[in-house]
Amino acid sequence: MIELAQLTKTYGDATSGDAAVPVLEAVDLTIDAGEFVSIIGPSGCGKSTLLRIIGGLLDHSGGSVTVDGDAPDGARRHKRFGLVPQSPALLPWKSVRDNVNLLLDLNSAAGRAPLSPGEVDALLHRVGLAHAADLRPAALSGGMRQRVALARAFALEAPILLMDEPFSSLDELTRADMRYLLLELWEATRSTVVFVTHSIDEAVVLSDRVVVLGGSPGRVQLIETIDLERPRHEGIEDDERFRAHAAAIRAALHSGAAAR
Amino acid sequence: MSGASRLRGFLTSVAGLALLFGGWELYVRLADVRRLILPTPSSVFAHLGAEWSFYVPHAVTTLTEAAAGFVAALVIAVVWATAMVHSSAVEKASWPVVVLVQSTPVAALAPVLLIWFGFGPLNKIIIAALFAFVPLVSNALTGLRSLDRDTLEVARSVDASTAEIFWRLRVPQALPALFAAARICVGLALVGAVVGELYGGASGGLGYLARTGQTRGFVDQLWGSIFVLAGIGSVLTLAVVGLERRLLVWHASQD
Repeated sequence: MIELAQLTKTYGDATSGDAAVPVLEAVDLTIDAGEFVSIIGPSGCGKSTLLRIIGGLLDHSGGSVTVDGDAPDGARRHKRFGLVPQSPALLPWKSVRDNVNLLLDLNSAAGRAPLSPGEVDALLHRVGLAHAADLRPAALSGGMRQRVALARAFALEAPILLMDEPFSSLDELTRADMRYLLLELWEATRSTVVFVTHSIDEAVVLSDRVVVLGGSPGRVQLIETIDLERPRHEGIEDDERFRAHAAAIRAALHSGAAAR
Repeated sequence: MSGASRLRGFLTSVAGLALLFGGWELYVRLADVRRLILPTPSSVFAHLGAEWSFYVPHAVTTLTEAAAGFVAALVIAVVWATAMVHSSAVEKASWPVVVLVQSTPVAALAPVLLIWFGFGPLNKIIIAALFAFVPLVSNALTGLRSLDRDTLEVARSVDASTAEIFWRLRVPQALPALFAAARICVGLALVGAVVGELYGGASGGLGYLARTGQTRGFVDQLWGSIFVLAGIGSVLTLAVVGLERRLLVWHASQD
């Protein structure tokens, strides 16, 4: 469980002469184990900052954050997070196979042992890249690279996945494919996912709850619970309830933008 | 690259050299240039063929000085750039020194180094290292910094150690920039060794041979030394390029 209570984040340090820039203010949020939560909001509202604070990559300025009762930094040391950033962040000199194992190879004293070649092949098969195990990233399309990034995160078997707009650089068709691939992988593991996105449709398709951040500094404008059955498949966007959720989120985004 | 296109590339390079030496030969013969001013390349090659054993120990001397200078510059540059990557204070303190090294005519230091280190090889090695140092440190810093933020965060998200991030991520990422500098700096180190021999008091080496050839009017020796130096420089550069091709098959520069 991830618990944020009255969380604030301010960039800059008045003591060193930098102007203090408050980014997040009084964020209260509890994410249950196995829940898929998306964070949506306009640029600069603190979505990625929030993700990085949860992942122990950034310190917060006030309030509290705990991950299964532990500080985020402690959870990070025990490899409890799988991070999927905006770019695939693959190592160009390593094969797809070695990239999938990268996070298991690093800090190998913590977490599980690297996957065997058979396990890597099975995972690559699930993301549709069985034929690409020995290729280097330069030989892959943008969508294929992002599939490798997903496989790398799922290979960790981390209880919490942090995803920062992982599909934002993909074309619309590939992006739609990736949503359902992510759902398929997630259904098998049911790890906790915190997913940052700009896309309302993406947030509704993927999530159990959508957190709308807005204002400056960013505050929670709305927490929308998505009551759409799982597993979700293509065509769910045509559901009346889908459109209602999207409309509610859109309205909250507009009111958040007005508060900036 | 296919075998046929490789062969085509090789033949084009050979044609370029043939054009240079052929044009040179033709010009000297047709314009009847005095041998003291410019000998024909064929006469220099003939001299080298007959007297090659005379040049070998001198070539070894210069090559040793250049190689030692290059390796010293490479090691210092990588260590220094590593310190700069990890400490902004070190970086801020370092740049004025690097700029000073870059702006100082290294040849002018040769007499000073001669006073400090005597007639041995050390002053030539230092000059060779100074010639090669700035491009190496500059590219090492650029290369070590070229790891993108997302990759760094992915590594930090599993608490990868600083040593792991350095050796497994930063160093491989820096290799293309380092090789780009090395391709230029092997030649610069050779130039440095020769400058050291010209101005730093020497009793051997190809720079010494060129200088004595010039002062004594030994045209064959002067040009023979220049040709051997050019040959060594080319072989060293090709060796770096070959190593680069082998190690950086993944990089766009090798497409």
